[in-house]
Amino acid sequence: MSPLLLVAIALITYASRAVAVVLLPRPDPRFEIVLSRVPAALFASLATATLVGDGGTLAAGPVWGAAAGALAVSPGRSLLLCLLGGAVGYALGAWLG
Amino acid sequence: MVATSLPAAAAVAVFGTLYGAAARGVLGVPLTLASSLLVYSGALQFALVALLGAGATVLPLLLTAGVLNLRHLVLGAALRSRFESRPLGRALLAFFLVDETFGFAIAAGNAVEPRVVGKATERTLLVAGLTLYVAWIVGTVVGVLGGGLAVVEGPAGAIFPVLFIGLASLAARGRSHVARALAAAILTALVALLLPDLRMLAPVAAGVLVALPGRDALPARGR
Repeated sequence: MSPLLLVAIALITYASRAVAVVLLPRPDPRFEIVLSRVPAALFASLATATLVGDGGTLAAGPVWGAAAGALAVSPGRSLLLCLLGGAVGYALGAWLG
Repeated sequence: MVATSLPAAAAVAVFGTLYGAAARGVLGVPLTLASSLLVYSGALQFALVALLGAGATVLPLLLTAGVLNLRHLVLGAALRSRFESRPLGRALLAFFLVDETFGFAIAAGNAVEPRVVGKATERTLLVAGLTLYVAWIVGTVVGVLGGGLAVVEGPAGAIFPVLFIGLASLAARGRSHVARALAAAILTALVALLLPDLRMLAPVAAGVLVALPGRDALPARGR
């Protein structure tokens, strides 16, 4: 990869981050309601995408254990708690597997 | 705020190390370091290394960058109403807009009074963004220098699902958001299973689709 191509990719990436934040006007309240629903759904989707690969290929057992551990403590709404739950779940998954 | 983002920073540093080690042989040391400094996007950088390793030409690389960056448009739009800064300030903050910092910024805004949502969101995006950026650079440098992380490669695979579940829990407000998150997860799994070619787009598409129907109360917003 040439340095020029790397710069082009960096510019595409930055533009994708900046375009909505800088150029969009403040959204209309009805659109704002829709946008407020996106974050949790998007993160749940991203979590799923790391667990289920192409054609339904599944992540390793301990990774599922970690996800289950994090999910179990997620009502606590603490990232640290989720990481701890994930660590316990990973250890259990590795032990059982 | 730095303390809140430290667990995520540790995870990002581990992946930065894995990236540095993987990219060094494909990009060379200078471009590996430059990619982390300029692009600051783990998913995209790993994808580029994989494509280059497979002999991809310029067009597939640019298209991959475009597709993987589409979600930033959604993240930026969701944050826009919470920002109070002028365009230049928002342009500077935009560099730090990644999945994890977005989650922290949304959670910070949700946790304060409506009149200070803007300040809390912007401050969190800046502080968490800098923390994770430094972690990503340090991780890349360690990986480039040959830092051994064989011991953590297995557990490292579990970091991101756990991190995303944690961020979903921080971002969710009420049963409606939880139900939509579950629907988005099911939709993403179905796409991975039935339409694997669209897998890269699935998280953004599912996140937006499940957000469309229904009526909720207006969220808290900045001035």
